[in-house]
Amino acid sequence: MSEPILKIRNIESFYGPIMAIRGVSLDVHPGRIVSILGANGAGKTTLMKTISGVMDPEKGQILFEGLEIQGRDPHKVVHDGIVHVPEGREVFPVMTVEENLQLGAYTRNDSRGIERDRELVFDYFPILKERRTQEAGTLSGGQQQMLAIGRGLMANPKVMLLDEPSLGLSPLLVKEIFTILKRLNEEQNMTMILVEQNARAALELAHDGYVMEVGRIVMDGTAEELMKSEDIQNFYLGVQEDGAREERRWKRKKTWR
Amino acid sequence: MNMQTPVDTTVINGVTYNAEAGQRPLQVDGCTTIAGLFKKRCAELGDRTVHREKDLGIWNAYTWNDYWDHAKWIGLGLRKLGLKRGEVVSILSEDRKEWAYFDMGIQSVGGIASGVYTTDSGSQLNYIVNDSDSRFLVVENEEQLDKFLTHEDDMPGLIKVIILEDEGLHDLNHPRCILISELYEIGKAVDAAEPDLFESEIDKAKAQDTALLIYTSGTTGMPKGAMLGNENIMAAVEAGARRLQCLETDNQLCFLPLCHILERDVSIYFPLAAKCVVNFAESPETVFNNLQEVSPDTFTAVPRVWEKIYSQVLIMVQEATPMGRAAYGLAMKAGQKRAGYMMEGKPVPSSVAANFWFWDRLVLRNLRRMLGFDKMRRGGTGAAPISPELLKWYWSIGVPLVEGYGMTETAGLATMNTRHDNTVGTIGKAIPGYDLRIAEDGEIQTKGLNNFQGYWRNNEKTAETFTSDGWLRTGDAGRLDEDGFVTITGRLKDIIITAGGKNITPAEIESRLKFSHYISDAVIIGDRRKFLTALIMIDQENVEKYAQDLKVPFSNFASLCAAKEVKDLIGAEMNAVNKEFARVEQIKDFRLIDVLLTAEDEELTATMKLKRSFVEKAHSHLIEEMY
Repeated sequence: MSEPILKIRNIESFYGPIMAIRGVSLDVHPGRIVSILGANGAGKTTLMKTISGVMDPEKGQILFEGLEIQGRDPHKVVHDGIVHVPEGREVFPVMTVEENLQLGAYTRNDSRGIERDRELVFDYFPILKERRTQEAGTLSGGQQQMLAIGRGLMANPKVMLLDEPSLGLSPLLVKEIFTILKRLNEEQNMTMILVEQNARAALELAHDGYVMEVGRIVMDGTAEELMKSEDIQNFYLGVQEDGAREERRWKRKKTWR
Repeated sequence: MNMQTPVDTTVINGVTYNAEAGQRPLQVDGCTTIAGLFKKRCAELGDRTVHREKDLGIWNAYTWNDYWDHAKWIGLGLRKLGLKRGEVVSILSEDRKEWAYFDMGIQSVGGIASGVYTTDSGSQLNYIVNDSDSRFLVVENEEQLDKFLTHEDDMPGLIKVIILEDEGLHDLNHPRCILISELYEIGKAVDAAEPDLFESEIDKAKAQDTALLIYTSGTTGMPKGAMLGNENIMAAVEAGARRLQCLETDNQLCFLPLCHILERDVSIYFPLAAKCVVNFAESPETVFNNLQEVSPDTFTAVPRVWEKIYSQVLIMVQEATPMGRAAYGLAMKAGQKRAGYMMEGKPVPSSVAANFWFWDRLVLRNLRRMLGFDKMRRGGTGAAPISPELLKWYWSIGVPLVEGYGMTETAGLATMNTRHDNTVGTIGKAIPGYDLRIAEDGEIQTKGLNNFQGYWRNNEKTAETFTSDGWLRTGDAGRLDEDGFVTITGRLKDIIITAGGKNITPAEIESRLKFSHYISDAVIIGDRRKFLTALIMIDQENVEKYAQDLKVPFSNFASLCAAKEVKDLIGAEMNAVNKEFARVEQIKDFRLIDVLLTAEDEELTATMKLKRSFVEKAHSHLIEEMY
């Protein structure tokens, strides 16, 4: 496989005295979708924030195309080519769709490129074109998510960090958005890091996966390998083990092998 | 009751024992059986607290009266349902007060209590239940119940299964399962009809009756049930009282499995004599928090636990401020100096004592309070070898930690160091009233009332365990110094004979390796091979810390084990150990076991030791790689 576009080495991040990420290392190869799974509080969002520069790590390195980017200001990281689509979309509600997209291109000054990317976004999300003059706050949740992704695309990134794009969306919308993400990956060769609670959708979309627990990575592998793991099936995919009784409630201990 | 011929007695911490240890009739406060002593204590102590258990975040106290009532209902209930004297009841539960209730209830009506590890699989449970011919099985909760249900057709001898926690089982309707509350009701009804029955059953017990069955893990073959009689346990209680001071006012923490003789002695039988309070840890995961809350007066644990506490402190120190680190360093220096005198039993010079007092006030006292050791008079360790450096560290911070030795077949105790009679690196002197000798082949052999009765329905194995002149073969090789202190050198049957014909006891090398913070356990390979190699289980926490500090990237446990720096680290530890051994005993190559083993895995015993035969089998590919 090619050299990883993004290498994370022994990152430790804190919220005050609380260590949220306890030495995480991972590799993201160009053109791959890497999914990060984990329960609430495992440190997934913190990891995203640390990569995008919103948080500074206490220790460790983040190498993007061979250069250390940890601790840089977020706008510089965006300029380098990593864009963060935050959890809960966070579009600017009183601005129009078009203005939101325009903001996504804030770090750029090639107007022709911006125009091209706007068309690209409208191509992938036709509904945004329809609603281009509407205030973003009046869009539905799914449309806001599309806008958030579109806004990210406007920075012409090399890597997209997607934090729970399925949050609060109907299964149908999740499917729609994930299909678009898949197309983006295939057609634009977009590299993505995807944080998801919806493990099944995430593993179906992703090529590789990491499982986080209390700030550490406990398991990694290709999406296929992870899907086969008994622990993943039990704890993330909701597969019930055959038990002695139908109404069994207890779960076996995780071993992560 | 236990009418015995009068013998000279002595009083130790308020309890009467025979003046001479190890003599028949062996009596504790005039009682010769566990059930008899239980009855006496409950009558004397009534409303005093005997157990504490945490429920929804609150420590609740339970009295000797509770102990008596519940054990009575259990005993009478089981008897009503068909338990006969001499029949076995298996208990599959984590530590909790009901474990003690059942142990006493079963023994009081003449039954034999047998514990099963909660980490055992359904088929292991099946084997033990059938081998012991158990009439009843006690299961803690639905998880344990399912082990029975998956094998229920293979356990025809079980009359009933008793469930302690009904959570998630309200809809259960199974002809062979009842809840503990139902058993209590049956027992209460019997008690109302025949109020003297329970006590008269207790009085029927004899010193020679088998009281409990303990299945020993057995590194080869299936587990065997060791039969321990009332007298064996009373002998352990007597020796314990003489060697391990235990006061009425003491608090203890119970957290090792009660199926294991060590915790059973310390948390159920010794407190019967000593009248102290036993606090049950919530779960194996919360031990360190519970330790802080309880702050026990004495604490007995396996080396793994002592090592864990030590590494936690080390990590804390490394992350402290420079001033904190400096203070810790100076305090440790003062502690070590004092420990040097104390561990050899010499008087501490006043200047050393004053220096210690200062640093104790400033640093060490706070450290002990943080760990839950602020009241601790004595720590005990056993069941596996412990590093002398670690012992010294505990003495230095003001926690006298002593090592002892025993096995199921010796009722848990055979030799003990004490606070005042201590030689580090040895397992201490034989307990009072117990004889110990070293056989020609180096085997440690013992004789006395602690020696068990034999293996359950396995005369062949029993015969193998005793010499023709009646001494117990411990299977451990060791030596005896002129003061009577015993040093263990290894397991006899583990002796490796290399292709060169050299005899090597792997345990000695293994325990040296284990003393490294980075190595949690090791198995030496080399039988009929050209040279020695080792399989290493690394200490996850410490190695992870090391890797992070050195910026070694890793994602999961396997990649941690694969990291070159980690291999180098273990290699360096290995080289340091190799220097201490002769050339043929040096390890030429090693591999790390790159799966994180849990107690459920066959390769580990319940006390987290590697089992040689299983490790060799499961990781044979690693072994073959090295040759």
